[in-house]
Amino acid sequence: MSSEPRTIAVENPFCTRRVRPGALPFLLPDDQPLPRLVDRLRRQGWWGQIIGAHGSGKSALLASLVPAIEQAGLSVCRVELHDGQRRLPIDVRKLATRGGLSPFSRRTSFSASTTHPGRENGTVPFGRPADALVLVVDGFEQLGRLRRVRLKRFCRRRRWGLVVTTHVPLGLPELYRTAPDVALAQRLVERLQRGYNPRIDDSDVAEAYAEHREDLRETLFALYDRYEQRRRSTRGEE
Amino acid sequence: MMNGSSIAIRLDGDRRTYEPGETLSGEYSLLGVGRNGVKAAEVSVLWYTEGKGDEDLTVHQFWRFDADEGTADPGRDHRFETTLPASPLSYDGMILKIRWCVRVRVFPTNGKQIVEQKDFRLGNVPPAEDAEL
Repeated sequence: MSSEPRTIAVENPFCTRRVRPGALPFLLPDDQPLPRLVDRLRRQGWWGQIIGAHGSGKSALLASLVPAIEQAGLSVCRVELHDGQRRLPIDVRKLATRGGLSPFSRRTSFSASTTHPGRENGTVPFGRPADALVLVVDGFEQLGRLRRVRLKRFCRRRRWGLVVTTHVPLGLPELYRTAPDVALAQRLVERLQRGYNPRIDDSDVAEAYAEHREDLRETLFALYDRYEQRRRSTRGEE
Repeated sequence: MMNGSSIAIRLDGDRRTYEPGETLSGEYSLLGVGRNGVKAAEVSVLWYTEGKGDEDLTVHQFWRFDADEGTADPGRDHRFETTLPASPLSYDGMILKIRWCVRVRVFPTNGKQIVEQKDFRLGNVPPAEDAEL
């Protein structure tokens, strides 16, 4: 961790650097803080799916979740799949044998995993050892059905965790459903503009959010332009 | 911890704009840091893009000062100097901006890194017109 360089007055608070997943903390509801989510994942044997629409914050949640999984003592291998990417960009079999990426030097205990609460779904590996890897696949639905089945089987046999994001349920225990609303979008924008000249108000957010059919990512993208236009129209006044 | 500590960066002549090929020089100092409070410090002269798309960053020149080598003494000012390149020129576009800065990152003996940067312009490209959108 480090402090962020001092912001510069002309910076646009909606630039990619500030809105990309991980730059902003995922705003979980008060009754479901991150530790509780991690505990749920642990009880599910480190298997879980995050379900939500495009631009609803799934990747942002992953960005918050991954460090928390690592803090729990597990190693994480994260894979991001984009549109049309039908196979993993890594060979997970090599991952299993490569010393450098192998997590097996990290020790932790999985007392909750011995209960296998998610086993009724057929998705939780049996007898998970105390040292393990969690494979995180962002965009799991991009893989074809057969590849998904194979990957799940592979992880189960290796006793790895598997956490995925997906637009639709794909047979893993559910971990979280992202369901943003305009109030959440307004809270995010309020956070983004802290320390900046606020040029975007709640009505701007509501308008952009509706225009972009409740896609948070596109909403923030659109607000970049609006902020920039207003910044330029007041140039010289600052 | 380095509570209350900070980094001050000064460019010689308090300049904010440079032409390609000119020499940028200045110094940084650490405020509120004890004698043994720093493990290392890094100074970079770099440019980065900012905007709506993928962002880029390139370090033009880099220096590292290590306490082990006696070069990171927090009690004195540290000079830096470099010849600036021909490009990319600073640019304030609607969807893309190119920014230059001197960035100093300090690794304290205990606690989090602290980072400070001083922005400057390379060249004099006028800001883009709104029509870019």
